Amino acid sequence: MKGLPAIPGAREALGTAQTRRAPEGGHIDRSRLMFFEFDGRHYAGHAGDTLASALLANGIRVFGRSFKYHRPRGVLGAYGEEPNALVTVGSGARHEPNLRATQVELYDGLVATSQHRWPSLEFDIGSLNDRIARVLPAGFYYKTFMWPGSWWMRYEHVIRRAAGLGHAPQQADPDRYVRRHAHCDVLVVGGGPAGLVAAARAAAAGARVMLVDERSELGGSLWDEPLQLDGTEGHLWARAQAEALRAEGVRVLTRACAFGYYDHNLVAIVERLTDHLAPATSPRPRQRLWWVRAAQVVLATGAIERPLVFSGNDCPGVMLASAARTYAHRYAVRSGQHAVLFTNNDEAYDTLAALRRAGTSVSMVVDARPGGPGSAAREAVEEAGCELAAGFAVTRTYGRKSLRAVQLMAFDNGRLSGAPRRLECDLLCLSGGFNPTVHLYSQSRGAIRYDQQLAAFVPGESRQAVQAVGACNGTAAMAELLAEAAN
Amino acid sequence: MQSIPCPHCGPRAHTEFAYGGDATVERPSDAKQVPLGEWLDHIYLRDNPRGPHTEWWHHVYGCRRWIKVYRDTLTHDVYASAPADGEIDPSARARAGNAP
Repeated sequence: MKGLPAIPGAREALGTAQTRRAPEGGHIDRSRLMFFEFDGRHYAGHAGDTLASALLANGIRVFGRSFKYHRPRGVLGAYGEEPNALVTVGSGARHEPNLRATQVELYDGLVATSQHRWPSLEFDIGSLNDRIARVLPAGFYYKTFMWPGSWWMRYEHVIRRAAGLGHAPQQADPDRYVRRHAHCDVLVVGGGPAGLVAAARAAAAGARVMLVDERSELGGSLWDEPLQLDGTEGHLWARAQAEALRAEGVRVLTRACAFGYYDHNLVAIVERLTDHLAPATSPRPRQRLWWVRAAQVVLATGAIERPLVFSGNDCPGVMLASAARTYAHRYAVRSGQHAVLFTNNDEAYDTLAALRRAGTSVSMVVDARPGGPGSAAREAVEEAGCELAAGFAVTRTYGRKSLRAVQLMAFDNGRLSGAPRRLECDLLCLSGGFNPTVHLYSQSRGAIRYDQQLAAFVPGESRQAVQAVGACNGTAAMAELLAEAAN
Repeated sequence: MQSIPCPHCGPRAHTEFAYGGDATVERPSDAKQVPLGEWLDHIYLRDNPRGPHTEWWHHVYGCRRWIKVYRDTLTHDVYASAPADGEIDPSARARAGNAP
């Protein structure tokens, strides 16, 4: 790779510099080392990594700066739900700003830079805004920059440069983009377990089926947890299902995001063809826009985890519990050395075993429910050998560029009481439950209704020929999910 | 993108058509017999119904014929279509299900 020091042993040294990579496990290809650059420094990762997982494996914690106050921000999620780690990838006419590092597939020679900081991510002059945050409350610009009126264009010049995220390329786009129209009987959006089963069922019934997934591999959540289906590991089961579907004539697209649902079951999909490859001068198109008219649409778009709220919840080292599990299981990355789990539901307790396998020790589980978790979760706590604080909540974090500790207080029905207690940790996993991904469903004019039990919005009455299955319909348990999708 | 069912060509994307306005308006047979105010109202004034509506569509990129379409302006559900000299049956709306 250009720029990599030609010192003997440099590559091996970078390979072993992945201090947060667990020695075993993960669905990455450890035999294929890849070298990339982030903010001018060289790092190593593996085939199968994302930019975020590779940087976490190298011990990087700060990925960007917040929009207004320039607070240091780390990685919160593992996939498209990531709000913080926005980076610019590429250079020259091909550089693309505002990509989520969790969605950037790593390739050999990738060059990425962080955004919205000057002069560097570690030392950003913009963080002065955080020091004077008291005089920059929300909406401060409605009362400022008014006087003298003749100075407005001077103010505007500075404001223009301070606002906005990332820089757009100045040169013309050298890539080629193509379009295709398609018709099918059933379009399945989402290639996780529910989507795979729904597609197989529709194909078996003789329908013309199309299956699309925005990720590089089919299988969805099966890549994030150790789960067996039909006697095989989840992600391998998914691969086999995909092959079977292709053999049956189902059109399967990966790296294809269904982004718009229009009238009469027209769905727009963007298929990224070469973004995961090193830039080349070949004439292959970069992206393909699909207009798909489907007689029936099945949405199997899954669910996104909710974080919990407390002061300083944007500190690098605070992560969604499902993301911590994904990094531990799929990428063999220790997101921290000493963790605390903060949750309000039983499902999050799976995080304890996942973290332990990656080499992270968990000191405490903070459960906001006064009654605490169920028996299976309590067993998990015992196995992990950590404390359980039921009826407590995290109230603040300590640390600016990296989490150092959290503070707990007793929590009952919205009221805090008792003496605050401080816990040292460098990773805080949050779980507030899951929100079904109802974006496309809502775009189809489908109504959504609030489910008290799930404390989330689920699909309600549909207004087009669309059906939601699996976690995006509120059915998260695997057995029920597969049964639902088979209909 | 809406799907307009042309009675001659089958369901096509609305981008193949040009919209022709309200199909329920009757042109006065003899312009000279009609008071000017009424004539101007006919030319320029149109209702803007929220709900089922019979419209003209011109299939410019297909058969190039004019057709009548019975379509809901709020939900975009298309209930029926007919050739220019044909009749729309309003009961098509009752017969149509929740989803097309």
